[in-house]
Amino acid sequence: MTMPAAAPPPSARRLRGTIAADVPVSSSMRRLELELEEAVPFQPGQFCMLNLTGDLALVFGRPFSLLAKTGQRLSLLYKVVGRGTARLRDAGVGAPVTCLVPLGRPFPAPDPRPRLLLAGGVGLPPLLAWAERWDRPQDLRCAGGRDGDDLPWGLLSPAWRVSLDRPGAVPAGRLAFGGNVVELARSLLPAGSPAHVVLACGPLPLLRAAAVLAAERGWDCSVSVEERMGCGYGVCRGCVVPRAQDGGYATACKDGPVFDARGLDWARFGEGSGV
Amino acid sequence: MMLPGWLAFDPRGPLRLGPREFPGRIWTASGCFGYGLDGADLVAPGYGSPFAGLGAVVTKTVTPEARPGNPPPRLWETAHGALNSIGLENVGLARFVDEIVPVLEARGVPFVASLAATRPGEFGDLARRLAAAAAGSAHWHGVELNLSCPNVAEGGVDFGRDPVMVERCVAAAREHLPERALLAKLTPNVGSIARLAAAAARGGADGVTAINTLIGMDVDLRTGLPVLPRRRGGYSGPALLPVALARVDEIVQETGLPVVGVGGITTLEDALKFFAVGAVAVQIGTAQMSDPFAAAAVAAGLAAAGDPETSAGQGRSSPSGQ
Repeated sequence: MTMPAAAPPPSARRLRGTIAADVPVSSSMRRLELELEEAVPFQPGQFCMLNLTGDLALVFGRPFSLLAKTGQRLSLLYKVVGRGTARLRDAGVGAPVTCLVPLGRPFPAPDPRPRLLLAGGVGLPPLLAWAERWDRPQDLRCAGGRDGDDLPWGLLSPAWRVSLDRPGAVPAGRLAFGGNVVELARSLLPAGSPAHVVLACGPLPLLRAAAVLAAERGWDCSVSVEERMGCGYGVCRGCVVPRAQDGGYATACKDGPVFDARGLDWARFGEGSGV
Repeated sequence: MMLPGWLAFDPRGPLRLGPREFPGRIWTASGCFGYGLDGADLVAPGYGSPFAGLGAVVTKTVTPEARPGNPPPRLWETAHGALNSIGLENVGLARFVDEIVPVLEARGVPFVASLAATRPGEFGDLARRLAAAAAGSAHWHGVELNLSCPNVAEGGVDFGRDPVMVERCVAAAREHLPERALLAKLTPNVGSIARLAAAAARGGADGVTAINTLIGMDVDLRTGLPVLPRRRGGYSGPALLPVALARVDEIVQETGLPVVGVGGITTLEDALKFFAVGAVAVQIGTAQMSDPFAAAAVAAGLAAAGDPETSAGQGRSSPSGQ
């Protein structure tokens, strides 16, 4: 079965706003809240392009998956991984921002089949948003982190199963699987388990392993890719990923970031990027 | 804001360039706003659309056949600039005229088609096919020949650096474009850009676009390797503005040709600097990628600007003649 195509996303808006909050939620992750001039709806899996207004040292905005919305306030999670996110952290509360939102194709809306949610690192927000939006007990939620300090435990309800690459302390009352998040899923859903639809978001190795798992089982699988972006709205062709059908490329920002795993050429994916 | 009194012409008006009149002097640069289709549904408080007030959208460069483009990563940001190695990914001329031109025409988007080829005769073929297919297009104002994309090994920068080849490419296209403005986009990666501009004029260009990207590279210190798979790419962004301004000034001073200035322009103030040295229009490039309303904002600022306090044109001459 092929995944149903997601509904065409609503028009994106270019909005001004300010950083309303920026707080650490784990040893490596921060929660950023933006107060924008208008409220904008979004679907889980969509993202925003965020610019620090007037900061010409940053030529491009930075893409961030959306976590939550309350009125005109949007929330996202980020890690400081480079110049852009360092400047974002240093900008502080009150800094003016410009935001293009919502962008990209979201995860497909649910159907009666159970979902297997696989999230790693800053791949958490879209799947946290998905779980929050649909709140379905039949779905299996799995989140992976490097160690016990890496995960934003306060955002992970007990319904989330957790894996850790390295052993480490976890909060009282919580358990963690030793290994990566796809290994956790395999342990929970051994061969012969009922079919699930896989939704994955995280680093390329996670997505690749999720696609392999789904292919082995004959399950549908949607992956949300993380790519370096220029424009975020489809014009620069900078954020391409290899398409399976014709040897060409699709844009992560407009054709994605959520793709049917069978639509991507996994053999070519990541070549040249050192991943 | 008030327009400065030293302006040699009123940049708020239309622009006559060769056989065409453009509705404005704020354009978007090739490769930075797609084919002029994406972004049409974007909205921003205070702006009608990303296309409002634009003199032209210069399309993504189109080649005779479709090209898949270069493998990623294709973009790399540096401080105040960015490297790109897109590799002229495009749909090819046939799909461009069948699928894109009719939409631009129906939406009333003024556009300039950017064309690239590997031989002068191929530029002629492209121009001939486009002219035949889009003969009735009211919003197709011109062609910009991409003579200097530095990423394509078989053509691009090598012949774009040779005045003889520039003249031949322009002449081949001119023959088929009697009713459209013809511009040659020039590489800055040469000693004298004015020589290239003069060659374009000899070939029959109505003006030149300056500048295309500088050749640049960066190294990933984790690996010691270039960040782009093809090692070097095109460098653009705000860091380029002084370089572009100097090159436009060089062309204007040495040839008097109409120049469409491009390179690092983000704001109306940036655009005014190009008008100051004699550019007849400007293109917004990299800034349009980070903000789809960047060019519309510059155009809106220009349209809203008050008259200069002193009469325009005193003590100045401009190739625009306006």
